Amino acid sequence: MSVTIEQAQAGIESRSGADWRGWVLDRAPFVVACIMLAVIIAIYGSYQSGVFTLDELNLDTAAAMTLMLAGTGQTIVLMRGGIDLSIGGMISLGTVIAATRFTDDPGTVLLWSSAILALGLGIGALNGLLISLLKLQPFLVTLATWSILGGVAMIILPTDGGSVPGWWLGFGYLELLGLSSPVWMLLGLLLFWWWFRSTRIGITIQATGSNEKSAFLSGVSITRVNVLTYGLSGLFAAGAALYLTTQTGAGSPTIGKDYILPSVAAAVIGGVSLFGGRGHLAGTLIGAFILTLIGNLVFVLKVSSYWQPVASGVILLLSVLASSIAEKAARGRGA
Amino acid sequence: MRAFLARNRLILLAYLGMLLLLLITALFSPGFLSASNLRSTVVLAAFVGIVALGQTFVIIGGGIDLSVPWVLNSAAVVMALLCAGQNMPLLWVAPLMLAGGALVGFINGLGVAQFGVPPIIMTLAANVILQGLILVLTGGSPSPTAPDLIKFLSVGRVGGIPVIALIWLALALVATVLLSKAAFGRHLYALGSSPTVAEFSGVPTARTTVLTYVISGLTASLAGMLLTGYSGQAYLGMGDSYLFTSVAAVAIGGASILGGSGHYLGTVAGALVLTILTGLLPALNLSSGALLVVYGAVILVTVSIGSEAFAGLGSSLWNRKSREA
Repeated sequence: MSVTIEQAQAGIESRSGADWRGWVLDRAPFVVACIMLAVIIAIYGSYQSGVFTLDELNLDTAAAMTLMLAGTGQTIVLMRGGIDLSIGGMISLGTVIAATRFTDDPGTVLLWSSAILALGLGIGALNGLLISLLKLQPFLVTLATWSILGGVAMIILPTDGGSVPGWWLGFGYLELLGLSSPVWMLLGLLLFWWWFRSTRIGITIQATGSNEKSAFLSGVSITRVNVLTYGLSGLFAAGAALYLTTQTGAGSPTIGKDYILPSVAAAVIGGVSLFGGRGHLAGTLIGAFILTLIGNLVFVLKVSSYWQPVASGVILLLSVLASSIAEKAARGRGA
Repeated sequence: MRAFLARNRLILLAYLGMLLLLLITALFSPGFLSASNLRSTVVLAAFVGIVALGQTFVIIGGGIDLSVPWVLNSAAVVMALLCAGQNMPLLWVAPLMLAGGALVGFINGLGVAQFGVPPIIMTLAANVILQGLILVLTGGSPSPTAPDLIKFLSVGRVGGIPVIALIWLALALVATVLLSKAAFGRHLYALGSSPTVAEFSGVPTARTTVLTYVISGLTASLAGMLLTGYSGQAYLGMGDSYLFTSVAAVAIGGASILGGSGHYLGTVAGALVLTILTGLLPALNLSSGALLVVYGAVILVTVSIGSEAFAGLGSSLWNRKSREA
């Protein structure tokens, strides 16, 4: 890889526009997401006591962490300008392997957890390889692998069930300095992102998402970028699956599909561009909080819980519409 | 003749694959080629084929419609609720459901064509919203039984031929005329090959795109109503498998998923291939999980064959063969 970090960064800069309007357009979605979250918390707080406590933060983060992990992988893929539908199958597969293979012995749990993470990484890398080698669209390859992984999950465990050891279930309740382990994971994710986006590969992924042709011309191996991007997405999906089993205590061959759209939605609501190159994990995490708190809101407002997907879908569409229109405006300026 | 063969290579391959599959299946389960079994295969394939009709149009135009599962399911559930087992209400319920499906398609198309929302996101969001709305509407409980007329249309027979096969045949004729003879078809292929070129050549790209999603909404809701007749009642999740099967049928049928090529006649073969495969798996003692694996593998393999990477290889082999012949 002969591309220098400065070259890649210059590519990103030139696309996002140096003038102040580009600067505002880049950050507006994130600011809007923060305001949306504040409004939701305000409404939630006025119906429910104890919203502004550490306990509530611990609880909500625990509820949102599966989506946050899946969303982290999806954010990386979206930054690359792709999409990963296969996390639906990967999350299902991860939970059923965990629920059928874990025993009380920590050694076995460690072994199988590593195996699940490695599987996620491997399958993801395979997605990336197929996309590059066969010159296929990402959604098509990952749609196919979603079906395959979901099918394998169903072969391993035809219906919801299985079990994990009791101590594994207690993971989300571990506390350090008053903060639960999911909150520490959240901080860990932010730290990871802060490190990742300034690494060579992080910058290369972002540059490739901004402009694949110019990235290729400056010596980036697109195949390698794809393998790494989708590999990371698979890894995070496997992590999401493992975390999910600490919450549900069981495996489900169909649960993964419930995270496909929300993972994209969390990222888009948080200002990650669907067209590649732009975004920040902080936005995705805010988006995941918004989607999770809508569930709480639906509960305290005493409306049917079935409204939650409707509300999430509508918020997603509004965010996408806003970002598409902004994208059009930005492109119009560039032309 | 040779030009015809070359142009429709993938469609012919799909039919060839279907015949091969029929033979293999007949070897594994000798009763498979009986009239009654073939009839039930065609009936099941018709549901896939009808949903995949709309999907074919969308994919040729360069998009994809992932909202078919819950457009189908919504039409089925609402139709069953409104009719409450009676035939008469169908007079206004059936057109209403088709209009509802068309409306969802219209909104999908508008989002894609007018606002530049990626098709996957637009249609997945529509799918989730519809799913939520139907759950709110039904509270998760199953709906009343299907009206007798719907049952007749989906499992009845006229002179030994399943009624739904006739419906499918009629739809296939309409689709063929639209694709091969109508201006809409020419616009669609132009749009799928290159939206920019189509735009500059005066093709009404936005209108054409919206129309493809409208057609997909129409066929999905039609299939939903008919499927209610087949299963006797509408239930939640009845459309889920049609997401993969409709895309797979189009892929097997040889439509390039990048748009611009393919034909519904290929999709018909695709729907039959998938249904025969479905029938083959129980004979081999395989589970529904294995079926999902097969769907995924089939999508991957067939799409690879049609992809750029293989196109060069395939056509050079083909040309050499036809030169030698």
